[in-house]
Amino acid sequence: MTVSAPRRAAPSGLAAPTGTDHPGGQRRRTLRSLLAIGAPPARRLAAAGVLGSGAVLATIGLLAGSGYVVDRAALRPGLGAIAGILALVEVLAFVRAPLRYGERLAAHDAAFRALGRWRVWLYDVLEPRSPAALGRWRRGDLLARAIEDVDALQDLYLRGAVPVVVALVASAAAVSVVGLVLPPAAPLLGGALAAALLVSGSLALAASPLGEREAALRGSLSAEVVDLLQGAPELVAFGADAQALGRLRAVDDELARLHWRRSLLGGAASTATLLCAGAAVVGVLAEAVAAARGHRLAPTMLAALPLAAIGAFEAVPPVTLAAHRLGDVLAAGRRLLALRDVPVPVADPIDPVPLPGGTPELALREARLRYHPELPWALDGVSLVVAPGRRLAVTGPNGAGKTSLVNVLLRFWPLQSGEASLGGVRLEAAAQADARRVMSLVEQEAPLFAGSIRDNVTLGRPDAGDAEVAAALRAARLDAWVRTLPDGLATPVGELGSQVSGGQRQRIALARALVAGGGILLLDEPTTGLDRDEAAAVLGDVLEAAGPRSVLLVTHRPEEVEAFDDVAVMDAGRVVEFRPGGSAQGAGGNTL
Amino acid sequence: MTRRTRGPIDPRLVAEVPVARRHLAVAAGLGVGMAAAVVAQAVLLANVVDQALLHQAGLHRVLPQLTGLAGAVVARAILAGLGEVAAGRTSASVSAALRRRLVDHALDLGPSWLAGERTGELTLTATRGVHAVEAYVGRYLPQLVVAVLAPAGLLCWVATADWVSAAILLGMVALVPAAMVALGRGSARRARRQWRLLSSLSARYLELVQGLPTLRAFGRAAQGRREVAASTEGLRVATMAVLRAAFLSALGMELLSGLGVGLVAMVLGLRLLAGTTGLATALAVLVVAPEVFLPLRRAGAEFHASAEGQAAADRIFGVLDEAARPRRGSSGAAARTGGTVLADPRRGPVELRAVTVRYPGRRLPAVAELDLCLQPGEHVALVGPSGAGKSTVLALLLGFVLPESGTVRVAGVDLAAMPPASWRDLVSWVPQRPHLFRGSLEDNLRLGLPTARADQLWRVVEAVGLAPLVGRLPRGLATPLGPEGLTLSAGERQRVALARCALRDAPLVLLDEPVAHLANEDHVLLRRSLSGWLADRTVLVAGHAPGLVDPDRVVAIPAGGPDHAARARPPGSQPPVDSAGTRR
Repeated sequence: MTVSAPRRAAPSGLAAPTGTDHPGGQRRRTLRSLLAIGAPPARRLAAAGVLGSGAVLATIGLLAGSGYVVDRAALRPGLGAIAGILALVEVLAFVRAPLRYGERLAAHDAAFRALGRWRVWLYDVLEPRSPAALGRWRRGDLLARAIEDVDALQDLYLRGAVPVVVALVASAAAVSVVGLVLPPAAPLLGGALAAALLVSGSLALAASPLGEREAALRGSLSAEVVDLLQGAPELVAFGADAQALGRLRAVDDELARLHWRRSLLGGAASTATLLCAGAAVVGVLAEAVAAARGHRLAPTMLAALPLAAIGAFEAVPPVTLAAHRLGDVLAAGRRLLALRDVPVPVADPIDPVPLPGGTPELALREARLRYHPELPWALDGVSLVVAPGRRLAVTGPNGAGKTSLVNVLLRFWPLQSGEASLGGVRLEAAAQADARRVMSLVEQEAPLFAGSIRDNVTLGRPDAGDAEVAAALRAARLDAWVRTLPDGLATPVGELGSQVSGGQRQRIALARALVAGGGILLLDEPTTGLDRDEAAAVLGDVLEAAGPRSVLLVTHRPEEVEAFDDVAVMDAGRVVEFRPGGSAQGAGGNTL
Repeated sequence: MTRRTRGPIDPRLVAEVPVARRHLAVAAGLGVGMAAAVVAQAVLLANVVDQALLHQAGLHRVLPQLTGLAGAVVARAILAGLGEVAAGRTSASVSAALRRRLVDHALDLGPSWLAGERTGELTLTATRGVHAVEAYVGRYLPQLVVAVLAPAGLLCWVATADWVSAAILLGMVALVPAAMVALGRGSARRARRQWRLLSSLSARYLELVQGLPTLRAFGRAAQGRREVAASTEGLRVATMAVLRAAFLSALGMELLSGLGVGLVAMVLGLRLLAGTTGLATALAVLVVAPEVFLPLRRAGAEFHASAEGQAAADRIFGVLDEAARPRRGSSGAAARTGGTVLADPRRGPVELRAVTVRYPGRRLPAVAELDLCLQPGEHVALVGPSGAGKSTVLALLLGFVLPESGTVRVAGVDLAAMPPASWRDLVSWVPQRPHLFRGSLEDNLRLGLPTARADQLWRVVEAVGLAPLVGRLPRGLATPLGPEGLTLSAGERQRVALARCALRDAPLVLLDEPVAHLANEDHVLLRRSLSGWLADRTVLVAGHAPGLVDPDRVVAIPAGGPDHAARARPPGSQPPVDSAGTRR
């Protein structure tokens, strides 16, 4: 598809996270790494914690206060005696909702800011590893990774950090106030709260591996759907659709089974929480009755204490939910972190040697490359030279190693042995970006990006002047077409290929390479997907536009090599035939 | 994509997904049970306090009530757990059922409907969209049912105990739906817009990540990074705008519940002072009061699930509403398609008479008034400029598209009257851009003939010239394909497609530009090895396949008919080719 797609990528998948060491310790380490990478803004998170604690305390106050009002009023002391506390109850009744609203907004804002960091982090991780590592993931998986994994991490902030803080603060406050009024009730309430947090939390944690498994299943579900829909014509034509639907169904059934087990644990956690809350209420009430009878407690506090206990438990369910979701979050996080462990195939030298500018000589000597130890050599001792201004066509059957040449020259893949050089400077000694400045690429089925035609043409040099752009368009024979468009160069190219024909796409790619300004043009099957006439027209225009530049063409169409100075034929990673042409091409010379 | 404004319950979803209906009944039963437990708890708690405060009762005297209170607590806890388990069970089966129907229907709609960018959008709908519906059906809808039933039951009880409090609570509760509708409409609209923004963000993101090699080759990776940052920041701003509105309904609900409890406490206090109510009653009402709002608040908290789930349900039913021709015959479908006649292309000609095909939304037909006749065993090449409708003719013969007018007959029998799946058993096909499936090379070959023996597989592998490649692979035919395994070139994919086509013993062979990606020398090799297999079959090849097929006849489709710029294209066809830049 692009230059990039390594022809032979590693057959083994990504290294799975090892499960050898203690799961709890591993969990903590993962959490620490996750929080270190996508650190949410601390101030917003703290604000959410304070507002949330305030909301729970307001609930406790409202319930306990109104219980006190009723108890007190039942003794008929006169309005003055309850007016103050009644006013307080009304205030608490009113402030709780805005506090909760503020907490939600602050927590979500913090989480989304963190997610923004994650998306950029993901791009940063993929960037040096593409196309080498990029080819390893299925498209469906990559989509799931990019969107769902990062999205899943929002619960780390929304449901993880904030509810735990709120629960701890509110529990501590409730236990101390109850303890002040009736000391023996404090351990009862505290114990019940702790038990609820622990029992329901660990039940939910037990469900956590199921969550990871579910996330993995969702990935294969996505891949299965992609396969089914993209391969629909063949499936229907060959009557294999029922079988494919059966596979999808098997994944769905497995997913349903997991879901069922998770909801059993989740239901048990809810039951445990309610039982603890009930135990606290019954216990505190019994303690209060005994204390009132023994004159250790004002009888008007009889209702307020159990009602305060009910209020305190409002903070528990969000913590259970957090633990319940932890598995999903960790699975997503671990898969994201695993991307970091994929080795970067090509690194810049510490002290890069500058490359000669202009149109230096390009040479490969005894170059060997393979994408995986189990796969055959993609380049098996290739030696080729493109003198300045000269035009070399490399042809041969598919799988001969032609695209690997491009991958090596553009430094997407390292050589296992041998060397590639520009103007006598070994590419490994130079910065990757320098090599890519000297060589401008025209890909097969070149990807265009959302944006205008001009944006795409100036991809390599956004500061290119209008005159340069116009010259490149003329050379690529796009000028007439662009003039017919109502918005001219500002016309958006739209979704890939949907508004631009294959020929236009390749011409845009050519104009892009010309504007980028490298002295060497690398043409990687630039006419793929074009019919014969169109292909000949595009290639002819490319060569005419190339002018004094060196050209290295990689093609499987033998008829395309005729206009070239030298022709190399490759097979199974080797140059099996070399047909040198006449004298070196003079500057500005034209082979047409 | 019509967007109707509706109530919170999607009637279609409930009507068409039977599991959802059953689930709602269970949720209703559990909700009523929990409301009863709440009342019991409140009455018993109030009774204990009343005894202790007004009658100075000791622990031993209130022990029966305390025991009852504990019992009510246990009952409520168990019912709550059951509710959660039921929700988990339902949501999983709902999503599995919906996904199956969606994908199945998409296959019924056929490859020409699926062509182009639709696949990506549909994938998103079948995964994320169905997930959103799952949350809607599994969590939101049962909460909603409980939110209607439980408060109603509790209010009835409060009314019997203290009608003034009941009136206050009723007033507050009555305001809740009004607030929800008023505040919810805006948030639903915004959620739908967010879905579109999210899709465009993910499309943008995918484009940047997939285009990374190009961005790197042109030294623009840093710019891509900035665009990722900008699009994600845009998403945050948009999402926060949605949430500010979405959380307003929760705010309104919590305000009403807080004020309700506060007012009830005040009224009860005043009535107790005046002696017009008793402590036990007042306290029980006070304990029940917040519980009246709790189910409403829970439903409100899941409200975003409603908006997102309904938006997704809209898209799902949008696909399901597209009229499709069933791929295979249940008896009803067979009756609709006119019976179970099957004609064999060995017995008589395959004949297109004055066939016109038009893709939906296109002005010009893809194929106009085309006549074509293939005698049994005849080899015909169909030529014409790119976009002239060659692939469409093959799609017609595969039954992927139906003619707008004219007929396709096989040995005198109308193709439309044959059960499509049985007809396709008689056809073998090489698409222009073959899709390779996850799995091994062997799995992909076996698509043509699942029962193929090893020697049959090797014969076709050798015939299409894949043997040297397979020979170099340590795991041979078991080598997994795809990005995580062996990546095949366009030419190799075509060979795989040819091999799986040649595994089928079908009398009609359709080849769509079968050697476009292969070098000339290979054509000769292929011809030598495949000519025996092709010899006695009826073959229609789109485009020139010099070497592979030596046509008895060449049929040219004139250019000019089809509309180049239209979006719907036959499956696997290449994009319209620029005709010298003079379009429009």
